[in-house]
Amino acid sequence: MDLFVNPSGELSLYRQIMRQITDAIAGGRLKPGDKLASHRELSEQLVIAPLTVKKAYDELEALGFIETQRGRGTFVCASLPRTNPANQHDQLREAARRLLSQAYLAGLRFSDVEKLLKNADRELTGPAVKSTPGEKVKA
Amino acid sequence: MTPILEFTNISRSYKRGVPVLDGVSFSVVPGEVLGLLGRNGAGKTTLLRIAMGMLYPQGGTVRVFGLSPTDEPVAVKKRVGYVAEDQILPGRLKIAELIDFHRYLFAQWNDALERQLLDRFGLNPSSKIRQLSKGEARQVALLCAVCHRPELLILDEPAGGLDPVARREFLETSIQLLNREGTSILFSSHHMPDVERIGGRVILLDKGKVRLDRELDELREEVCMAILPRASAADASAIEKIPGCLGVRLVLDGWHAVFNDSPEVVRRKLREKLRVHEVRCVSLPLEELFIELVGRDRKEVALA
Repeated sequence: MDLFVNPSGELSLYRQIMRQITDAIAGGRLKPGDKLASHRELSEQLVIAPLTVKKAYDELEALGFIETQRGRGTFVCASLPRTNPANQHDQLREAARRLLSQAYLAGLRFSDVEKLLKNADRELTGPAVKSTPGEKVKA
Repeated sequence: MTPILEFTNISRSYKRGVPVLDGVSFSVVPGEVLGLLGRNGAGKTTLLRIAMGMLYPQGGTVRVFGLSPTDEPVAVKKRVGYVAEDQILPGRLKIAELIDFHRYLFAQWNDALERQLLDRFGLNPSSKIRQLSKGEARQVALLCAVCHRPELLILDEPAGGLDPVARREFLETSIQLLNREGTSILFSSHHMPDVERIGGRVILLDKGKVRLDRELDELREEVCMAILPRASAADASAIEKIPGCLGVRLVLDGWHAVFNDSPEVVRRKLREKLRVHEVRCVSLPLEELFIELVGRDRKEVALA
């Protein structure tokens, strides 16, 4: 899986890593049982402090996305956490409304937004991540 | 965790009554990467030289692995690697001769690591030091500083004068050492993206004191800047005395006030204390934070 980080980005580095891993899980590019790069491998690939990778992995583990098996490595959990669907639905509806309002303010039409969503879906589920400028490495 | 490096209340001046360091305290724990920031003349190099036992502190104590670097220089230097800001290497020697000299000094010299680094940097051991580029000379200095597998690496301005490729290679090597050998790193830098990339924690020196000592993630997530119209406060101190305020600067027609709080908390405080509503709060990249905290007021000045 491709990971990249941009030290001057909006999010802190460990959150950038968390987001990219959860994106990959959401899109199915990382499947339950898949093995992740070790702290050490990932820190050397991305050229960031190993403690930053550890922090991202610790948070993902606390959220129930990944698990560390002693002596074997870190894996995507067999059963992924599900948040309360009713709750989630409200949040998603709100996010959709915000997306549409931003799009309409920018002069886009509904069909343009559909195209955007299709592209985003390809990025999320496709084999290769389309990256914004930054480092791209195999992880 | 027991610190491997500990500064306690360090003070030092070069001219009587003009302290460069004035009560500096912080420590480094094993495995940590700590970026030391500050303007030119803020005392970064002085502090690093004190850690190396090359300068005496005039007040306070420094302990490296629990030892005083001036009382037990050999025991300390065996376990520390140091690359100075302007490392002067003997130009007439060949790289191989300089390496031989270091190997002779350190019983625990690692030949395999030496060969790996020569290879990675593409250095020819028979080249004369004088003929090396600035980047290559720094790579030689780094090699000489790390092949005895130090537990603490002290780098003074490692990026100074290097091109982006050489800088990245330097960082890659540092990170690998950190991973393989468990080396902790204390480095001073003006290059903020490098600090954001490999640093875990940052220390900002200003006017001889530690102005800021925080985890980088916390800085990004828990510190923000409010931009206020000039009329909202009579002077900087009216804003400075609000709890959580880290610094205030006048920039043209407004105040830039950095707070150790989330935007919601800052907005509430400013509503309560200054009766200002609708405040814009932004989170700051390290470079901007640095300028806000140690930069001067900015007034309208026409250049002739």
